[in-house]
Amino acid sequence: MTTVDRGPDALPSAIEGERIVAPEPSRGGGDRSKRRRRAGGFTPYALLIPASAVLAAIVGWPLIQLIITSFQEYGRAQVFGAAPEWVWFQNYTDVLTDPVFYEVLARTIVFAAVCVALTMLLGTLIALMMARLPKAFRMLLSVGLLLAWAMPALTATIVWGWMFDTDYGVINHVLVNFFGLEEFFKHPWLIEPLSFFAVAAVIIVWGAVPFVAFTLYAGLTQVPDEVLEAAQLDGAGAFARFRLIVFPYLKPIFLVVAILQIIWDMKVFTQIFALQDIGGIRAETNTLGVYIYQVSIAGGEFGIGGALAMIFALIMMSISVFYIRHLIKEDEQ
Amino acid sequence: MRKLGILALGAVAALTLAGCATSGGDDASSEGAEIRVWLVGSDTPDEAREYLKTTFEEENPGSTLVIEEQAWEGLVDRLTTSLSGSDSPDVVEIGNTQAAAFTSAGAFLDLTEHYEDLGGDDLLPGFVEAGTYDDKFYAAPLYSGSRLVFYKKDAFAGIGASVPTTLDEYVATGEALAAANPGKSGIWWPGQDWRNALPFIWENGGEIAVPDGEEWDAQLSSPESVAGLTQVQEAMTKASVAPKDANETGPEVGFCDGTTLQLSAPSWVKWSILAPADAEAPGCPDQEANLGVYALPGADGGAAQVMAGGSNIGIAAKSKHPELALSALEIILSDEFQTIYGENGLVPAKLSLADTLGTDEVAQATAEAAGNARLTPASPKWADVEAARILEDLFVNIAQGGDVQALAEEADTQIEDILNG
Repeated sequence: MTTVDRGPDALPSAIEGERIVAPEPSRGGGDRSKRRRRAGGFTPYALLIPASAVLAAIVGWPLIQLIITSFQEYGRAQVFGAAPEWVWFQNYTDVLTDPVFYEVLARTIVFAAVCVALTMLLGTLIALMMARLPKAFRMLLSVGLLLAWAMPALTATIVWGWMFDTDYGVINHVLVNFFGLEEFFKHPWLIEPLSFFAVAAVIIVWGAVPFVAFTLYAGLTQVPDEVLEAAQLDGAGAFARFRLIVFPYLKPIFLVVAILQIIWDMKVFTQIFALQDIGGIRAETNTLGVYIYQVSIAGGEFGIGGALAMIFALIMMSISVFYIRHLIKEDEQ
Repeated sequence: MRKLGILALGAVAALTLAGCATSGGDDASSEGAEIRVWLVGSDTPDEAREYLKTTFEEENPGSTLVIEEQAWEGLVDRLTTSLSGSDSPDVVEIGNTQAAAFTSAGAFLDLTEHYEDLGGDDLLPGFVEAGTYDDKFYAAPLYSGSRLVFYKKDAFAGIGASVPTTLDEYVATGEALAAANPGKSGIWWPGQDWRNALPFIWENGGEIAVPDGEEWDAQLSSPESVAGLTQVQEAMTKASVAPKDANETGPEVGFCDGTTLQLSAPSWVKWSILAPADAEAPGCPDQEANLGVYALPGADGGAAQVMAGGSNIGIAAKSKHPELALSALEIILSDEFQTIYGENGLVPAKLSLADTLGTDEVAQATAEAAGNARLTPASPKWADVEAARILEDLFVNIAQGGDVQALAEEADTQIEDILNG
């Protein structure tokens, strides 16, 4: 049937521009009349126009600008009106032959991987705990999680930065005065790159766990109790039940949440940028997002920064494609 | 295909929008306009801000002047984005070493024809030079600050020290203070603070970078510079307990809670230290009698060559009300406004107002230090070196006791990459 075929056909376009912002207006409704097939064929596109126009203006246009800039020699003088010079792939060659780029890229990937793993693990554990807590405690926990989720990243970073402050931070104070660990007297937490990223990971994971926990908790309520009960009667322990029943049920949710986390943690900016102001060595703690900012905005090399951003965008898009393909597959099932 | 369609649509929409935006600006009347002045940091005293606002609004009835205070941290980034946008401030302060990056890019209005009205040859020559590019005058001097050493008199008395007369003595005194007062800084020196390290390089005969034909040759790894950097490392590791990776903001905090016995800082820090105890950024006015000050001594006595810190001020090229902005700039460079700077320990933008600094200890030290001040390399790209924070990273590594020669060579490569890139 043609109407059935059109469903999945229209879907990609609905998702293509979407990105978790807002749901697209729904398809033309349950119109089955063959006479109106033509109109029905056009309506979905007409309904897509407003959202697409907004997206094109606020995402598409800057993207085109970015592509153009990445092929030009574009410095501060060009920002203020001088004519840019076309250098085509020179910026890309410069970036791809610069060892610093690979260092930053590797650092970004490793850091994102650690953050995602920690976030998923803690998020899952908290979701499982929420499912077992009595109602009052669950409310308390939910409110706490919501507050963490609602806290702007910059505010959170500054507050965490104060806690880890070398001179006056509460963490050093507690470690020295309550645990007697004298080596933490004026311990600089941010000076070693590894320790810097540990602090950054704490801040990022702390901010991201609520989302994972809530999403998985919502999923957990959908796992049929009778299946779990039957498994329990058959002698399956808690871990076996999670591995053999809960996880397969929630696998799609796990996958989607994990991909979202990967995307978010790869492009992390605020937390790293703000922490670098507080302490640490910039050259050793840059992640891609911060590095692009430093090259283009601070350093005034917009062409190189543009090329960097394009390469980064391609990496992120390949991850997003995986995400979207999965969504479509889910939908088809 | 659909993608292309959307892109085309977006392009059309954006072009139309852009068209609308550019047609509006020109005919804006100056009646009832709002002038936005960006002052950086807290160095400009409140009295001066108040004077600027009221005088401007008296002279230009119906218009208002808003002062928006910016942080020094990340200023180059912020100016790059804001001065090029449609929401540009009208009058902006900028660090003298950063000015060239913007005057060379055409971010400021050409003030050459107003040079005489703004003060002419009475303006501080080094700062006029910093604000001039291609023989055009873009940014006027705002004020100059010099670096002074502040110390606690009782701490000096405690170890029987007198005011050091050479750079070596300065470091030795700092170390002695730290040794006699465990857990306290004989010279408070957080690792990111590179500006205080420059005198050590210069006094030992080194340079940051020197012009070499068309190119720049970075000199931090020359034997003279390394001698200076090694001395810096000694002071940072033996005399200071400040965090090795912190920046130099809030010097009054340690001074007031007693953990800092001596520090080198811009002259206006005196007012941060002596701020009322209940101020937003509290100080410790009770330390006034105990607060000693002197100009950093040179390697062979006299005042050291310190960095000529200070600011320029210009009108944004994209200002919608250039006449009003000019009127504000004239007030800022007036004798009355500049006198307030002088009375608050900052060197006024005009040579003729030098005596407003007064005759107290700080004033004498300021004048002495200003007489021997130097600038960072005069390249439009120097601001990028600052923005890339190469020197912050270098001194954080030095503060941790790293290999000075190797670190200096690495920094030289990075600086040359930017200056010659």
